Amino acid sequence: EFRFGPCRVENVILLELWEAFRAVKDSVQTQDNITSVRLLKPEVLHDVSDAESCYLVHSLLKFYLNTVFKNYHNKRVEFKILKSISTLANNFIVITSKLRPCVKNDMLSIYKSAHRRFLLFKRAFKQLDTEAALTKAFGEVDILLTWMEKFYHY
Amino acid sequence: PDGVVVLPAPQNLSIQSANMKHLLTWSPVIMPGETVFYSVEYQGEYESLYTSHIWIPSSWCSPTKGPECDVTDDITATVPYNLRVRATLGSQTSAWSTLEHPFNRNSTVLTPPRMEVTKDGLHLVIELEDLGPHFEFLVVYWREEPGAKEHVKVMTGGLPVHLETMEPGAMYCVKAEALVKAIGKHSAFNQAECVEVQGESLPL
Amino acid sequence: PAVPCVSDGLPKPTNITFLSINMKNVLQWNPPEDLHGAEVTYTVQYFIYGQKKWLSTSGCRNISRTYCDLSAETSDYEHQYYAKVKAIWETNCSKWAETGRFYPFSETQIGPPQVALTTGENSISIVLTAPEKWKRHPKDNPVSMQQIYSNLKYNVSVYNNKSKKMWSQCVTNNTVVLTWLEPNTLYCVHVESFVPGHPRLALPSQKQCVSTWEDQTSALK
Repeated sequence: EFRFGPCRVENVILLELWEAFRAVKDSVQTQDNITSVRLLKPEVLHDVSDAESCYLVHSLLKFYLNTVFKNYHNKRVEFKILKSISTLANNFIVITSKLRPCVKNDMLSIYKSAHRRFLLFKRAFKQLDTEAALTKAFGEVDILLTWMEKFYHY
Repeated sequence: PDGVVVLPAPQNLSIQSANMKHLLTWSPVIMPGETVFYSVEYQGEYESLYTSHIWIPSSWCSPTKGPECDVTDDITATVPYNLRVRATLGSQTSAWSTLEHPFNRNSTVLTPPRMEVTKDGLHLVIELEDLGPHFEFLVVYWREEPGAKEHVKVMTGGLPVHLETMEPGAMYCVKAEALVKAIGKHSAFNQAECVEVQGESLPL
Repeated sequence: PAVPCVSDGLPKPTNITFLSINMKNVLQWNPPEDLHGAEVTYTVQYFIYGQKKWLSTSGCRNISRTYCDLSAETSDYEHQYYAKVKAIWETNCSKWAETGRFYPFSETQIGPPQVALTTGENSISIVLTAPEKWKRHPKDNPVSMQQIYSNLKYNVSVYNNKSKKMWSQCVTNNTVVLTWLEPNTLYCVHVESFVPGHPRLALPSQKQCVSTWEDQTSALK
């Protein structure tokens, strides 16, 4: 199960997510020509405390659901990419539906710290042309999964 | 228009799921002397919430001849999935028929696992059937004696696994249940199997 | 400075990939086709995803071999990398042939542990030493792959040569003692490392076989 600080998530198998991404990794990453930009930079994901992790993963997965995957469908995509997005997105729905980031006042500073990290990612995304940003964000799902894996307990 | 046979949509869609294998079935569309093909598509909760116009062709059944489709590789999250089927005959296609209730893999039926308990000298070895990557097995084993203490191990299937080093002259029993973390469920325990080890007990 | 060459005068090298085991990241490629007998040399560059420039590596400029150890250049395994190579022959050179995006942390294969077997009358003790991460200098302090992948486990397989039976055990600690084995019997052992939840190729250890001692009571008789 995932343990993002106080937030627990079961019924998600990381192997399924890895296999879904690996099936399309090369074709998606090859379409990303702006190799000088990394959205999920070290400053976004390095040394995230347990307490921050629930806020950050909630924001990131919601962004992927509402923006990245949702708009990816408007591009002409191959069938295997549709399938990969479906597996990732439906599992991200399971995760976000079980995350209950705490909203108490004493957690405000932790929330703000996590939000700053998320804004770093979002700003970098918005600075790119939309099509390029969608491709780049999808191509960085391996960075996202690797970070999430640190909170996965077998 | 007159005289043109409209291809009927497949009827009686239903899904049977056991041990995380999901089979969609429907009544065949009968067109005497013709071979009717079918296409199956699916939509997870994400697609129905965020991109409801998107349906994804099934991995193995777009198209298919049979009135059934193994959708196991398409159902890859523990969320409700819509499934639909239509018939095709030449250039004609029927309307879509959609499964009445969305399918969630957490409704799959888990059966007690088959196992083989053997010994290699004094070593108790178990091999559980390989039911695929979703499956782990909770194995309980004990030495048959008053006040027996149960030991528990979790393992995967498909390979003989060492359970315990036994003492001569004792009987050891084993039972197992299937665990599927993806849906947070487990099967019933199977029938316990026991093996006895010849020879006297070990010197103290 | 390198003598400028006529670009696109040669076909590109092919099948350019990273072979990565325990974070030893070696770039390898096949020579360009149809250049048999030509004295082709190669130049390699690498790129850190998210940064600005392609970088050269002194050890792989105008080399004639078809591989280049980029372990030092790609040692920060949380970064992602590209590499490219071009072929040069006399005044002609090929276009660059480029790898896909390489992510050491999730793509490196984890080698088997070192396996030491010692036998007793009817026991075998198996001592496992975790595989070591590539290191720049032999004298550098070793870093175990277990420090990078905290949930690293081992699958120990044991084959009884007399009964022809095989069984395995999944362990996390480094010592396994097999007791109450049959005396005077050859047992063969091989071990694989694996990280749960991550699809990686398994690299089993060399099979090692040892025999348990003769039964001491019959030996006395």
